[in-house]
Amino acid sequence: MGTEALSLEGVSIRLGKTLVLDRISLEVPAGSFTCLLGPSGCGKTTLLRSIAGFAPLAAGDIKVGGNSIATLAPEARQTAMVFQSYALWPHMSVAGNLTYPLKLRGLPKAEREKRANAILSLLGLEGYGPRAVTSLSGGQRQRVALGRALIIDPPLLLLDEPLSNLDASIRRSLRGELRRLQQKVGITTIMVTHDQDEALAMADRIVLMRDGQIVQVAGPEDLYSAPADLGAAQFLGVDNVLAVAPDDPAAQGATLVGFRTEDARVFTDDMEHPDAPALARKGKVTTCAYAGGGYQVGIDVAGESLSACSARPVSPGDDALLSVPASMLMSFDANTRLLQGIRH
Amino acid sequence: MTATTSADARQTPPDPVPGSASRRLSGMLPGLLLVAPALTAIGLLYAAPLVRSLVTAFVGADGTFTFANLEKALEFYGADILFSILVTLASLALIAATSIAIAGYLTLGQSRWAVPLLRWMYRWPLFIPFIVAGQTARSFLARNGMLNTLLADAGVLDAAAAQSLLDWRGLVLTFAWKQVPFVTLLLAGAMASLDRSTIEAARNLGASRLRCLFEIVLPQVRPQLFVALVLSLVTLLSVLSVPVMLISGNPTMMTAMMAHRVTYYGDYAVANALGLFSYLLTAAAAWAYLRMSLKEKANP
Ligand SMILES: Nc1ncnc2c1ncn2[C@@H]1O[C@H](COP(=O)(O)OP(=O)(O)OP(=O)(O)O)[C@@H](O)[C@H]1O
Ligand SMILES: [Mg+2]
Repeated sequence: MGTEALSLEGVSIRLGKTLVLDRISLEVPAGSFTCLLGPSGCGKTTLLRSIAGFAPLAAGDIKVGGNSIATLAPEARQTAMVFQSYALWPHMSVAGNLTYPLKLRGLPKAEREKRANAILSLLGLEGYGPRAVTSLSGGQRQRVALGRALIIDPPLLLLDEPLSNLDASIRRSLRGELRRLQQKVGITTIMVTHDQDEALAMADRIVLMRDGQIVQVAGPEDLYSAPADLGAAQFLGVDNVLAVAPDDPAAQGATLVGFRTEDARVFTDDMEHPDAPALARKGKVTTCAYAGGGYQVGIDVAGESLSACSARPVSPGDDALLSVPASMLMSFDANTRLLQGIRH
Repeated sequence: MTATTSADARQTPPDPVPGSASRRLSGMLPGLLLVAPALTAIGLLYAAPLVRSLVTAFVGADGTFTFANLEKALEFYGADILFSILVTLASLALIAATSIAIAGYLTLGQSRWAVPLLRWMYRWPLFIPFIVAGQTARSFLARNGMLNTLLADAGVLDAAAAQSLLDWRGLVLTFAWKQVPFVTLLLAGAMASLDRSTIEAARNLGASRLRCLFEIVLPQVRPQLFVALVLSLVTLLSVLSVPVMLISGNPTMMTAMMAHRVTYYGDYAVANALGLFSYLLTAAAAWAYLRMSLKEKANP
């Protein structure tokens, strides 16, 4: 079928009385891997469902390869969606699940079986064909669901939090597997996730959403180092925010600075202090917890609680200096828009 | 397997103290007391009459064991038994087809007004007694009944060629009209509790709604459909009013013949022999159902 570009033009969706998506416009280049990232309830699933044809548009248009699909029934759209709950058909075997979409397309039995076997070996599930899907583990089911979508060679692959129900190690390995697979097949893919690490690790482009609107569209590095505003920054792990003091190394006109805990260091009196230009604050240690390879330290600076890392344990109550390298600071203006991001 | 057995064996050692059996019995006493009323009611009101009527079927006028009643029932009413089986099967087929269509539309339909309207309407016949249904069907399906009048008025049917539907067709239609809501209720409920995303996944991968109904939805609710049909079978085999009101003459349903045998001849033996055939039919259906559900449990 070949891969296709997707474009959303002013898509609005109303479910019941709420406007769940508000004039979303987005261009997804052919062959790209795009992640929809955003907090729970921001409309990611709804956006995916609208592309697949399960949520009627209140306004706008959706085009695949230049042709509008907005009025087509779901079965005519040729998209392949992988549901968060897997949605495997429990009354069919693994092979039955994989070949049913081909049966719908009228392929002869021999061809269906050949393709199912090819997909099974692609997914590392050789010999699982006759098994009941109910007897599979979560990770295996996930792969069958993915295989069932890939087997029809769709122009557009839609993934709704495909890895969220898996444990950390399967998740890591499937992340890589999924990305490799996508690159190999070259299929235009949109994946929903609310895990920023997943989005940063896998996507070509990340679409950051909030309250039914797109906040920012950017590549992983750009999004990580220069989120559009304070809200986006906080969603992307910028967990410390401070008002700017006169001699802070912040951008011109900044009122707020933000930084990630892992970029900040804590120094007590007996440690050597840094000389590089940095934001520095004096405070008192409130908590210190081991965080694997180092310590995460809570520190109270003039009534604000901030956090930073330390290579050595420090005791609560100690006086300490919190220091953030100037290049790791993000500066925001009075409207919380970003003025300057992280400079590598 | 062996591990569980040995573990079980360890948990229940042989009684070390004599008299512990009676202690165990006294432990069961509260439970026994609780189920006793229900058990007694079932025994007295259901099991005893059932066994008595079964036994009567095999007892002759002289009080000895005999197959004569069964032979007589077969000889006199063989045609009625066959008629009953065929009418019941035809009704079940019609009920199944209609219920699948209605429940399927309720589950997969997209019309904003037709789905709620159908959902509101389809249950009505549930609240209408069989005897009223029979009466209504009689005036609706007769030779000069409402159906033929309507058809003639619409110009579809020549009034002179109109025929009465008060035969097996009337029975099948009335039975179906009365039982479809019940089967649909169970079926639509089962369909509504399916994981909706299995349906959406099928449509997403290219299945039309019709294929979705037959290849995705129906296979998943087959057990519930089967239960509803077995329960309907039992109901249909025990309805007396409808055949009495719709059918004059032979052959007719077994229930009508049983009533006839009892009221005109006081012949309980042959009536019970006929009843035995009803039991056998429902038992066969129940057995088929149990077998199916066991098989499904064995390989889900
Ligand atoms: N059928 C519905 N009727 C009314 N509101 C709905 C309906 N379905 C979803 N919503 C609302 O739409 C909003 C977006 O839902 P959606 O499922 O798209 O969120 P999401 O971004 O996928 O969240 P999550 O990360 O938790 O899956 C939510 O506020 C939700 O309450
Ligand atoms: Mg979601």
